[in-house]
Amino acid sequence: MTFISKTIKLAAAAVVASTMLTGASTAEDKLKIGFIYPSPVGDVGWAYQLDEGRKKIEAMFGDKVESVVVENVPEGPDAARIMNQMASTGADMIMIGSFGYMNDGLKLAAQKKDINFIHASGYKTAPNFGNFQTRNYESAYVAGMAAGYVTKSKTLGVVAAYAIPEVVGIINAFTLGAQQTNADVTVKVVWLNSWFNPSKAQESAKSLIAQSADVIFSLYQDTPSVVQVAEEEGVYVVNTSSDMKKYAPTKLLASMTIDWGPHFTTQVQAALDGKFEGTAYWGGMADGAVGLASMSDDLSADQKSTIEGVMAEIAAGTRHPFDGPVMAQDGSEKIASGSAIEDGALLGIDWLVTGVETQLPK
Amino acid sequence: MPSIYLEPRTERSAFAPFLVSGLAVFLTMVAGSGLFLLYGKSPIAGFHAIFIEPLLSNYGIGEVLLKLGPLLLIAQGLAIGFRARVWNIGAEGQLIIGAILASVVAIQFDGSTSSLLLPAMVLAGALGGMGWAGIAAWLRTRYNANEILVTFMLSSIALQVLYYLVTGPLRDPQGFNFPQSITFSAAATFPLLIENTRVNASLLIALVVSFIAWVFMQRSLMGYKLVVGGLAPHAARYAGFGEKRAIWLALLIGGAAAGVAGVGEVAGPLGMLQRTISPGYGFTAIIVAFLGGLHPIGIVFSSALMALIYVGGDFARLSVGLPSAVTDIFQGLLLTFYLASSLLLTHRLRRRSSENRIVAEIAE
Amino acid sequence: MTATLIFIIAGTLAATVPLLLAAMGELVAEKSGMLNLGVEGMMAVGAASGFVTVALTGSHALGIIVGGASALLLSGVFAILSIFFLANQVAAGLAIGILGLGVSAGIGKNYEGTTVNALPKLDFGALSEIPFLGPAFFNHDFLVYAALLMAFAVWYVLQRTKLGLIIRSVGESPSSAHALGYSVALIRTCCVLFGGAMAGVGGAYLSTAYTPLWADGMVAGRGWIVVALVVFGTWIVPRVTMGAYLFGALSLLELSIQGLGLNIPSQLLSASPYIVTIIVLVVISRNPTLIQLNSPMSLGQTYKASN
Repeated sequence: MTFISKTIKLAAAAVVASTMLTGASTAEDKLKIGFIYPSPVGDVGWAYQLDEGRKKIEAMFGDKVESVVVENVPEGPDAARIMNQMASTGADMIMIGSFGYMNDGLKLAAQKKDINFIHASGYKTAPNFGNFQTRNYESAYVAGMAAGYVTKSKTLGVVAAYAIPEVVGIINAFTLGAQQTNADVTVKVVWLNSWFNPSKAQESAKSLIAQSADVIFSLYQDTPSVVQVAEEEGVYVVNTSSDMKKYAPTKLLASMTIDWGPHFTTQVQAALDGKFEGTAYWGGMADGAVGLASMSDDLSADQKSTIEGVMAEIAAGTRHPFDGPVMAQDGSEKIASGSAIEDGALLGIDWLVTGVETQLPK
Repeated sequence: MPSIYLEPRTERSAFAPFLVSGLAVFLTMVAGSGLFLLYGKSPIAGFHAIFIEPLLSNYGIGEVLLKLGPLLLIAQGLAIGFRARVWNIGAEGQLIIGAILASVVAIQFDGSTSSLLLPAMVLAGALGGMGWAGIAAWLRTRYNANEILVTFMLSSIALQVLYYLVTGPLRDPQGFNFPQSITFSAAATFPLLIENTRVNASLLIALVVSFIAWVFMQRSLMGYKLVVGGLAPHAARYAGFGEKRAIWLALLIGGAAAGVAGVGEVAGPLGMLQRTISPGYGFTAIIVAFLGGLHPIGIVFSSALMALIYVGGDFARLSVGLPSAVTDIFQGLLLTFYLASSLLLTHRLRRRSSENRIVAEIAE
Repeated sequence: MTATLIFIIAGTLAATVPLLLAAMGELVAEKSGMLNLGVEGMMAVGAASGFVTVALTGSHALGIIVGGASALLLSGVFAILSIFFLANQVAAGLAIGILGLGVSAGIGKNYEGTTVNALPKLDFGALSEIPFLGPAFFNHDFLVYAALLMAFAVWYVLQRTKLGLIIRSVGESPSSAHALGYSVALIRTCCVLFGGAMAGVGGAYLSTAYTPLWADGMVAGRGWIVVALVVFGTWIVPRVTMGAYLFGALSLLELSIQGLGLNIPSQLLSASPYIVTIIVLVVISRNPTLIQLNSPMSLGQTYKASN
């Protein structure tokens, strides 16, 4: 230990002691849960859905829990500070809502063994650090079916952020679903190379429309910008995270929704019971974590019931969007007939299926 | 009615800089109180969260020191240039290039446990920052291209270089295509200074650089010549110290400091190269340099204050529920009021009246 | 292919509006010798306040006015600091830039992720029915055309009127202008305020017409591109205008290049405005006559009349 740190320790010791005393006196039986979101909660989108999950916790556990929210925390050197401050102000559980918080969260979890962490969309776990994701490829598959029904140009356009496996898997499932209802569709993708850029997302949608796409898939765009432009241009649109019907009242084909409620409430219950374990949760249609909302009335009753039938099969586990045979872009068989993709392979998927015209960015 | 007018000061009071900074802080507090009320929060709670709360825990102090490091380092480098009237506003880009080069070293020698790895990274970072700033120096001295504009453009370019590298060549091959590099090994990161905080040894570099800056600017002939070279190019040429040398020196010093600050981030709290390396340290450091009166000792205080506002702003989000915009607004206000107040450094307010000798000396 | 070409042309015309308007404002300010680096913050304030106004009143005209007026106020702070308090222009510009970003986030806080109807398109009747030309050129809102008219007006005033001559002479040599009896402070203040208003209108266009929604950070570096743009156009109105269309087309070009399957890093395209601007700056700066002809000689210098 160095001279500086000693001096500071001495100087701070007194104040620290005093805050610890006051901290102890205010501690109650409530489970205090901190929530950190990467973007403002707003009306729709990723942070909004996480916050809906938080509301479900409050609705279910009432005054047994107390939640604290800090929104719009950029992934970067400052996120750790907010987490740490939550930890030091008595949080018993912390939900960190973005991939980029993973390493800082893990470091903190290692220091504070009595705090339980749940982390959105990561891949690492620890005894007191679990992660959660949803099988959005399941809802993408059925959304793709809907897209296949309505497309006339047989061209679908996807506005996507980065080619991370989750996004690649969703694009593949969307394409496979569309091929179920319309054998010779092609899918074009624009890679934004940015998590947040509403203007560019909108420009991308327009460029896809100009390339004759008549269904646009707004994949992980946190703002309704793509949905809005689709309504304006008169093409169908599918989107992720939230129900965006109000932004495209006539042209929304369907919204792929996420419900964190079931997982959040189970985790909180586990924490209350002292049985929390850091697990990797991957929720799908089976447990109601993903679904399809606001299906367009332009789909016939038959088409809707076909889609709903497939959803029921996926939920029941009798059907998998990646049921073989599945061919990659280069024509090689990736999944043999009669088998489906393994979860592990899906978590690291780095190839696109045949039918997707755009290449993965190098 | 007596009117007030400005009169240039003939001599400077030694205390004036402190008074001016104090005035700026005071005015910011007043405006800040209004801001808190606007958000429906008590100003006392707001100020407590921003200025006191971070200092109440080891961790909070650590966080302030963590922020102080890069701000101090960059501002010291920039201030030297600013005093020579060389306007390097691209420290953000120099920081990024420094971070990139250091990361290349760390990635190249991943797994090495050599104690030379970290010094090599610091060196690479310094060279990277110097190289990036050197482009501006070369274009200015060779082609007369305005360094304000060039350093600024180079910042935007550096950001794109970073984006390119983290989504491509420097991306972690096992990282699921997420735009970030591998996690650096222990030998490629700065050791912690205080346990359970994130303050690391890169802070010591900032402190040492501050001392060197003080010696250089206040005590050395070269520092004197540098300032003269910027202020009065013709006189300086007589003294054998041309404007060109002043420009090169000013930009290289600023670039090196910013580059090393970049190393402090990737080899410090981040431990990897990613898209967001700095929350705008390179730009904030310009504010810090001015707020510190471009003086090495003043900058120590101003960087501490700015670091406190950064950390306190984050604390206030949780404890008072203030939005993150407050940090930006506070920094903007502080610089605005400082710039306004600093008129009193060079001028005094006089009241035009029958007796012209009555002087309203606010700064003294 | 035609559809893609129409997309690029029509898209460029719209994407250019915020850049062109803000660049005209910055150009006028710089012509008078004032380097205002706070464009990004001014555009953000214009975008936020304009959006909130439209969301509350439904009036786009009002939104544009409020957007322009609020950024004008912010530029007023810059003018006061750098003209009356003799502050360094670089520092003052950065100060209001940061202030503006913070204020815009504060204004838009409760509107995050919400949308408004886009500024309606003009009705050109049969003109918009012409194949190719119609959708490319006659399917836009009025600001697409007004921005171009504004560029023409700025050119006309600067080059053909006495006012323009005065502004330019203040930028060239404030002391001579002062000796001729012009108020340097007044003229510079007006030019800065004009710059603020234009940046504000540009920002408001972004949030109420181009991408009619509010999201913190949506200006996304356009303010910095504007600063580069004025230099790129070597302070000459027609060149800055052409540059604005060129820079406006870049991001759309990137998307089309992706569509064609060419593997050019998007970051290279994003960086290219800055790279070419540096090259242009070097080319004009290396030649003393060129730089004297084009760049305002007193740019960035504080001026205090010795009375």
